Amino acid sequence: MCPEEELPNTYAASAIAPTPGWGDAIARPLLTHSPLGRLVRWVAGIPVSVHAKLLGAFLLVTLLFIAMGAVTLQTITTMSRQSRLLDQGHERVDWSRQIQHALAMQSHFTALALLLRDEATIASILRENNQFNNTLARIGEAAPLEEQELIQRILAAQNEALITVADIANLVRDNKLDDARTLHLSKQEPLYLQIEGFVNQVVSIEQDRMNRLRLSVAAENRRALVLTAGFVGSSILLALLLGFVISWSFILPVREAHGFLGKVAEGNFTTTITVPNRDEFGVLANRMNQMSRELQRLYERERAAAKELQALNDRLERATKAKSEFLANMSHELRTPMNAILGFVEMILDEVYGEIPAHLKEPLTDVQTNGKHLLRLINDVLDLSKIEAGRMELSLGDYSVQDIVETVRASLQSLAAEKGLGFVAAVEDDIPLGFGDGKRITQCLMNLAGNALKFTRQGRVEISVGLEGETLTYRVKDTGIGIPKDQLENVFGEFRQVDAAITREFGGSGLGLSITKKFVEMHGGRIWVDSELGKGSTFFFSIPLRVETGEGT
Amino acid sequence: MSKTILYVEDNEFNRKIVRDLLARTSYRLIEATDGEQGVATALKEMPDLILMDIQLPKLSGLEATRRLRTDPKTANIPIITVTSFAMSGDDQKAKEAGASAYLAKPYSPRELLQMIRKFAPED
Repeated sequence: MCPEEELPNTYAASAIAPTPGWGDAIARPLLTHSPLGRLVRWVAGIPVSVHAKLLGAFLLVTLLFIAMGAVTLQTITTMSRQSRLLDQGHERVDWSRQIQHALAMQSHFTALALLLRDEATIASILRENNQFNNTLARIGEAAPLEEQELIQRILAAQNEALITVADIANLVRDNKLDDARTLHLSKQEPLYLQIEGFVNQVVSIEQDRMNRLRLSVAAENRRALVLTAGFVGSSILLALLLGFVISWSFILPVREAHGFLGKVAEGNFTTTITVPNRDEFGVLANRMNQMSRELQRLYERERAAAKELQALNDRLERATKAKSEFLANMSHELRTPMNAILGFVEMILDEVYGEIPAHLKEPLTDVQTNGKHLLRLINDVLDLSKIEAGRMELSLGDYSVQDIVETVRASLQSLAAEKGLGFVAAVEDDIPLGFGDGKRITQCLMNLAGNALKFTRQGRVEISVGLEGETLTYRVKDTGIGIPKDQLENVFGEFRQVDAAITREFGGSGLGLSITKKFVEMHGGRIWVDSELGKGSTFFFSIPLRVETGEGT
Repeated sequence: MSKTILYVEDNEFNRKIVRDLLARTSYRLIEATDGEQGVATALKEMPDLILMDIQLPKLSGLEATRRLRTDPKTANIPIITVTSFAMSGDDQKAKEAGASAYLAKPYSPRELLQMIRKFAPED
């Protein structure tokens, strides 16, 4: 973890490119031409985890919404209080009108009492008076100071008016109507006019208050609306901004990584990724750089190894070519002296140079036998080398299976006779002409039969050939020493004989079976062996009667 | 009149084998050590049989055989090619060049004598 490492800022506009959409069309100019880009990089550079950043952003947005809710709640509370005040204002204006009415009724009933002179009307005056007083008391309950004073005055005048009413009522009962009328006109009417003036003042004050209240409520409503709208708008903007910044501070390194991995996948290991993030993305980018460095290192090492291998291969190829040329030359150089040695020995033994002493016959025959053996070894080694160098080609043509078997039988008959072994060769008469390299097939059968005679001390060796469909199967059965089970797989390998002691006793280059196997395979056939230790072995090889001529001769 | 045999071979020991082999016969042996000399000698001496080694200096045995076959004077002289390449296809090449027979080295002197007698019977 090393977010402390200063990461250079390289969010290029190209980093926004991998999956362009309409969102990118908006984001690209914002990131490149506005302070938002810087803000995104700043957020990316905050050395806290992605988890903490996301949590912080969500908490901030949540807090904003909580605050917005609180503001709205407060606005609603204010508005409901104001509407209550407004209701109260209305009520007070109503009450003011009621006392105006009650006053008018008092005056009216007083005048009526003077006319009718009945108790009921007088009682009505008292009722209206009570009504007036009750309503006035209600207004007075929550009245401002200036109004209180006015109300006291109204109350005083009203009490006086009530006393006057009582006096007028008594005068009316006593039938002193003139006095009553005089009292009504001189005292009660001016009192009522005075009271009415006060009441009108109260009404006007209440209406003023009402108007003021209305205005303030309207202002308050406007204020609440602006505040709420402002709060909502700024909350949305802030949430959008936070979302944009946070998400792009994550999207950009992801895009950067996308581009980086794309290049790495294409095999460009020298590429690096640089992000301003000091969170998990920063750590990830460092890891990716580490990865590409490691890949580059491995790639270079592998390239160096491949180069080395190529050089080695070239050297090997040159060496192989040199070896092939050497072998072609050696083939000539070895056979020329062998020809002379074997030729001279044969002529000596044929007494071309005159009669030879009896005691020299055996050593001269030994020279000849060993010379021939040496020649066989040379031939085997050269054959195998040519096969391995890919220079061995089959010389294809028609051949007679009967002739091949006869050649092998004739060549080995004397050897079998010397060892006192039974030696028979059986071929079906009706096998048609084969197509292949007759000389090489002869060599194969010769190798197998020669081996069989070599490894058999007593008993017999049988050669047989059978045709089944289009497949010829050659079989050489002996009653020799056999091959241990665990060695069966190895007998066709190069330089393989079951053990060194056998090589000493029976001789041989150990190449015969290997060469035979290769010739059989060149004919498109296969070779195998059944054997039982101490009882004998049977070697088989089967090849197509007529080999494919696809590759020519 | 004994028959004349031309042996074209660059190796002295191999020439000596044939020389010794034919010494007790009635054949007359003449020798050449390279292809060019072989062709020249053949044209000059008109032998009854030519033994031609394939690997020769200056001119290969195959080429020498081809030239002798195209010259009407020597076109009918039997030519036995001898090679140290037991490589498959050499017999084919020798036949194509116009050789009458093919003998692979190392050959048995006995077999060689038999082959000589077959193509040029002793008088």
